[in-house]
Amino acid sequence: MSSDGFTPKYRTEIQQMMFVSGETGEAAVETTTLIEEIVRNQVHHMLKESTDLANRRGNRAIATTDLMYLIRHDRAKLSRLRHFLQWKDVRKNVKDSSDDKGAGDAGVDLAGGDEALGAGLGAGPDATVDMKKNKKNRVELPWDVASYFSEQVPPRDDEEDEEEEEMNFATLQRLKLADERTKNMSKEDYMHWSECRQASFTFRKGKRFREWAGFGVITDSKPNDDIIDILGFLTFEIVQTLTEEALKVKVEEDMAKKQSGIGKEQPGHKRKREPGLFDLPEEEREPVSKAHVQEAFRRTQQLSLRSKALGLRMHIIKQPLKLVSLRQDRATLLHVLT
Amino acid sequence: MDRKIGIFKERFSNSAARLSAFLRSKNPRRVGVGAAASANNTSRTRDDGAFQTGPSTANPAPPPPIRRAARVIDEDDYGDEDDEEEDIPAPPAPLPQVQRAARVIDEDDYGDEEEEEGDKADGAGGQSSGQEQAQVAASDAQGRMEIDNAAPEASKDSAEDAQAAEEAAKKEFNNYFYTLENDRAAWLEQQKLDAMEAQIEADTSGQAAPGSTNHMAGPPLETLSTTNLGATSLVMKNLFRRIDERRAEIKATDAEIRNIIRDVRKGRSKWASDDKVNQEELYEAAEQVLNSLKAETEYAGPFLQKVNKREAPDYYSVIKHPMDIGSMFKKLRGQTYKSKREFVDDLNLIWANCLKYNADPNHFLRKKALYMRKRSEELLQHVPDVVIMDRATFEAEERRKAKLEIGLEGDEESEEEEPLMASRGRKAPKKGNSVRKAPPIVNEGTPEAEARPPGGSTIPPSTSLRNEFLRPDSEAPADVSTNGFATASPGALTPLAPLGAPGSAAPGSQADASEAEGNAYDNAGAQGEEIDFEDPELKVWKLVTKKGRARVAGWRHQLFRGDKLNPDAPALLRRKAGMRRWLRHQKTLVGEGSQEADVQVDDMDGVQTIPSETIAEGMEEEEEGYLPDYYDTMSALPDLPKALDWVEDTDGNVITHCEETLRLAPKGQFIAPSGNLSSKMAGNMHAMQETRKICAKIGIVKQMQLQSQMYQNQFQKYNPLPLHEQDIEPTVVSDEGPIIAPVVCKAALQRTVAEIFYHSGYEEFQPSALDSATDLASNFFERLTRGLNFYREQPKTRDKQASTAAGRPVYQSKFTKEEAILHALHSSGVDIGGLEAYVKEDIERLGSKLGVMHKRMKDHLAELIRPALGDNAGADGVGAFDDGSDQFVGGDYAEELGVDFFGFKELGLDKEFGLRSLSVPLHLLQNRMHSAYQSQNPGAVTTTGAVMEDLPPLDPITAHNLQSEIGLVHPFFSQKLQNGDEPLVEDEELPVKQRFPKPRLPPTGKITSPRKRPIREQQQLAKKKRKLEEATTEGGLGSAEKSQSGPLEKKLRLEMPAEKEVEKEPEKDDAMGVISPPDSL
Repeated sequence: MSSDGFTPKYRTEIQQMMFVSGETGEAAVETTTLIEEIVRNQVHHMLKESTDLANRRGNRAIATTDLMYLIRHDRAKLSRLRHFLQWKDVRKNVKDSSDDKGAGDAGVDLAGGDEALGAGLGAGPDATVDMKKNKKNRVELPWDVASYFSEQVPPRDDEEDEEEEEMNFATLQRLKLADERTKNMSKEDYMHWSECRQASFTFRKGKRFREWAGFGVITDSKPNDDIIDILGFLTFEIVQTLTEEALKVKVEEDMAKKQSGIGKEQPGHKRKREPGLFDLPEEEREPVSKAHVQEAFRRTQQLSLRSKALGLRMHIIKQPLKLVSLRQDRATLLHVLT
Repeated sequence: MDRKIGIFKERFSNSAARLSAFLRSKNPRRVGVGAAASANNTSRTRDDGAFQTGPSTANPAPPPPIRRAARVIDEDDYGDEDDEEEDIPAPPAPLPQVQRAARVIDEDDYGDEEEEEGDKADGAGGQSSGQEQAQVAASDAQGRMEIDNAAPEASKDSAEDAQAAEEAAKKEFNNYFYTLENDRAAWLEQQKLDAMEAQIEADTSGQAAPGSTNHMAGPPLETLSTTNLGATSLVMKNLFRRIDERRAEIKATDAEIRNIIRDVRKGRSKWASDDKVNQEELYEAAEQVLNSLKAETEYAGPFLQKVNKREAPDYYSVIKHPMDIGSMFKKLRGQTYKSKREFVDDLNLIWANCLKYNADPNHFLRKKALYMRKRSEELLQHVPDVVIMDRATFEAEERRKAKLEIGLEGDEESEEEEPLMASRGRKAPKKGNSVRKAPPIVNEGTPEAEARPPGGSTIPPSTSLRNEFLRPDSEAPADVSTNGFATASPGALTPLAPLGAPGSAAPGSQADASEAEGNAYDNAGAQGEEIDFEDPELKVWKLVTKKGRARVAGWRHQLFRGDKLNPDAPALLRRKAGMRRWLRHQKTLVGEGSQEADVQVDDMDGVQTIPSETIAEGMEEEEEGYLPDYYDTMSALPDLPKALDWVEDTDGNVITHCEETLRLAPKGQFIAPSGNLSSKMAGNMHAMQETRKICAKIGIVKQMQLQSQMYQNQFQKYNPLPLHEQDIEPTVVSDEGPIIAPVVCKAALQRTVAEIFYHSGYEEFQPSALDSATDLASNFFERLTRGLNFYREQPKTRDKQASTAAGRPVYQSKFTKEEAILHALHSSGVDIGGLEAYVKEDIERLGSKLGVMHKRMKDHLAELIRPALGDNAGADGVGAFDDGSDQFVGGDYAEELGVDFFGFKELGLDKEFGLRSLSVPLHLLQNRMHSAYQSQNPGAVTTTGAVMEDLPPLDPITAHNLQSEIGLVHPFFSQKLQNGDEPLVEDEELPVKQRFPKPRLPPTGKITSPRKRPIREQQQLAKKKRKLEEATTEGGLGSAEKSQSGPLEKKLRLEMPAEKEVEKEPEKDDAMGVISPPDSL
């Protein structure tokens, strides 16, 4: 990731994503550029890894499962991804069968990676709900239980998807967060916000994304549609994670400043208070800076105790995919399970 | 003897209690007094006896005061023997030197390092006693008394104290285990001390030389007796007198004799001086004080040498008069001290300097200084408060006093008799122990005590003899005023003395000390600071064993110098002396166990009776400090268990005791403990196996459908053995604890890892994968265990609440077990939530998934076997499921029930193929397979439920039996039979090559490739078709024939539709040919 010669292409999208993720201010160019670089780096890495996997399998082109394998530990995310692909399939079929009905609407939803997932269950379009029973291809994971056995059973419709629980929990969390963020918004703001939710690296920018992500250089130049969609989903996730983490960093920094008194360098200026009734409009707040993002990135890259204890310190210097595939917080997981 | 033992026991316990009190007491004198007062009913101690047996010339002198405490043990313990023995008179004859040497050796056993020249009279007394044991005891006690003879009493006192404490502590040592962490420190300190001494030696060598020549350059002597050889003991005096008497007979110069005597008298103090009165006492005591202080290794370190300017740059600007112990040694050697006061001042200057420079109350050096000051105060009590003065003036003073106060009574005869003593100004052998010892009630044999005024008054003794003894308190004329302080005042100690009440001495010296340091620091403030005093026991232990520890640590250090193993360093070797000491000690312990006698008596016994010991013992090496066996591993052997004793029976065969200790190792150490988790995992694995069985069946079915050629043993029935953890075979072990067998442990871990592999879906795995995973796992667990240990072994902390509640210190671990486990887990990146999630997710949920999968596999198999029951289960299918769906799902139903679900029997296929074991829908199989099986195992048809027998094979049609056929076929057969007499052969029985090719049609109905047939074949086919058509029409006519050719017909019927299709659409690949369901037949 060399910053020289890198021209940011997704400034608007990233800003929108950050806005959706809770950053209310307008982030500086260098911040978005940094985020974009990080995202691109992650995408490169993912593509490389999944190409390796595909090559090991004997294929040249990467498959969706290769990408999914990379995030296999993040069960909730994986589950959402599967769900997303499932619904994408459903929509495609719907589109195929009845072109006249609700096609455009499906396309929009589909593109807004996470958004489609977020809204998929709760506020899915009526058209798709009708089709739900119609055809729903389960996305099988090659490392699932079915792979234990030499014979495959034909798919059946009547299986309940156990993963959905987790996904539901994660989705609910997301929705709750989004609710929190939009609670005090005016109608216009909310409109703006929901527009921003559809920001994507990939939607209707397939060519740009392919160039940006290095298709043709790192891996096969003709990626599957699904792969592009998955990457779109994952990139959104990366930006969101980074932004949330950076916001946390910023809050901590503010606290520390307040305690040590560094923040009072402008005596004439009105001091920042606790958020209250007469708080300033949000625009006045400072957006996260580059340093915050850097710190957030560092935090997400920390080596886990587990790998230290396993003695992997020497062999794996870094795990660049930690940002994409956060090993799920066990407490959350437990909460889901119980 | 029983009575004696009883008495002894009682006394022993008494004295033990007193000893402990003594050790705790800050002022040992009090206890000594108390002990003396309450001690004995025997009015006369052995000391009295010894005194009485002494030569008449011996002058009774006031005994050293504190020795009392030291001897308490002896007197209490051996009172009886002493009493028995004391009357035995000892001839005051000088003894040969050899005997003396032997005595010295004996005393060496007690670690009396300060041994002075032996008192021959006492030795003789001991010698003459018949009872060995008593003699030893006596000589022991006497030896101790003799110690005091020459040296100044005060300094002796502390030595005796220490010795008594040592003796007591040594007994206690066996009850405690002291850690070895101090030994390196001790060694370093020892090195430091050595360095200091060396430096002092170097510094003072110039001055020391004249000092040492001091006594050589004495005034010219007329007789030997007047020579200043420091012969203080009676023996020496006797010797000198005799030599003097027969001077003429000796052919040696005075110088020679002097040298000889000087050689003999090793114990002569280096401080002795002819010209200086009191110098020896003072310096002896002072040196002892310094040595004792120096030996307080933990505290004395900073005070040993001058403060380095580099360490404290401003030190010399703050401290104007620096002082340290090393400098004091130098001054001592330079003989610059003229009085106790000077010495004390210097000493206090050290502590005061430290306290002044380190003004911070929390400074660690302050504690040390305070401790040292306190210690020095204790020690200084034993320094005689004297002033050194020239002999001439002193003697003049003495005479003047004597004349003044006693005047006429003075008998000068003794003075004439003992020129040595008088001239030397040294204390005579203390035969006056009795004075101190004698309780007030009994004054027998202590006439001097009566003469002596109570209270250690300044009034000189009534006899002129007394004048010779320079009692530090009473006779030091220059320092009378300080008497009130009563430093080491014997008078104050005697029970007679009203002023000698306990505690009188302590404040005195306190005042002395504070006065001395005076301006240096605020006394009260300093007193407020707390000094952490150690456990007295531990202190004694450190003191006693310091040298030994230092030595051992030094040896070890040589091996590990520079933090690495030094192969060239001398190895640690066993030494004879050490082993002997250990042997002696062992015997002591054994003796202690067998006869409940006193340790000390046994000790003596051991010394006397162990035959292997040579008299040279103790001489070959320096007597080493007492070290516990576990410490000095080079001179000890570990205890051997009884079972390893070498016992022989009467025939000389060794009796082995191993049967008593051998036992079977408990079972289940190498298998997973049966628990919820393991049972769940086992269940999962079992489910996988079951599902895999079904998978194998499905695979076989699919394979059969695809494959054209079958082999007899192509399909092995998949029947894996159930997984079972095997424990190790019964193993015999001989000791407690886990079985240490790395290979077995690794194998067990490997098995567990393999189970986890299997559990996560791998049926097989490469050994290398297993190995590396096992290594990782063992590594991980090692870390985990190490972490657990770390948290478990954190030092305990004192629980204040519980301590106050229980009234004694209660210690608790820093972490509870649960905390330790949690910490260890956390440091390994594992948390409880993760573990629980693993169990719920990767085990329990996997189990349910596996269950679902199993069910689906069964269904799949059922569908494969009987497609009719799959999607469109008709009325028949439903019925089949209704009455036994469980078995139906189970897969093996056909075998188990013998019920013909698939209509096999109806078809007769089971007989033909003998494939019962496969439970496979045989109608799916290709006819080619039928024939293959038929030809391969024709006789394998054994069915249990066969209703009908096979029809006998039809006779082939020949020209002869043609007539028996119906007329309609006559022309056809006759046409066939034209070519010869041979019977007609059925198509089925033709040789393989001549057979008509049969169309292949897989059960799927798909014709994979169009077949190109030669025209001839097509013609043949056409012919055959015609023939078959004829046959069918015939069959419709003749029911008998139809029934006869039943199987054939069916087979043909099966083939027919396919053939027709082939003919209809020969080129089409993907024609959907659906095989006729069985019920269509």
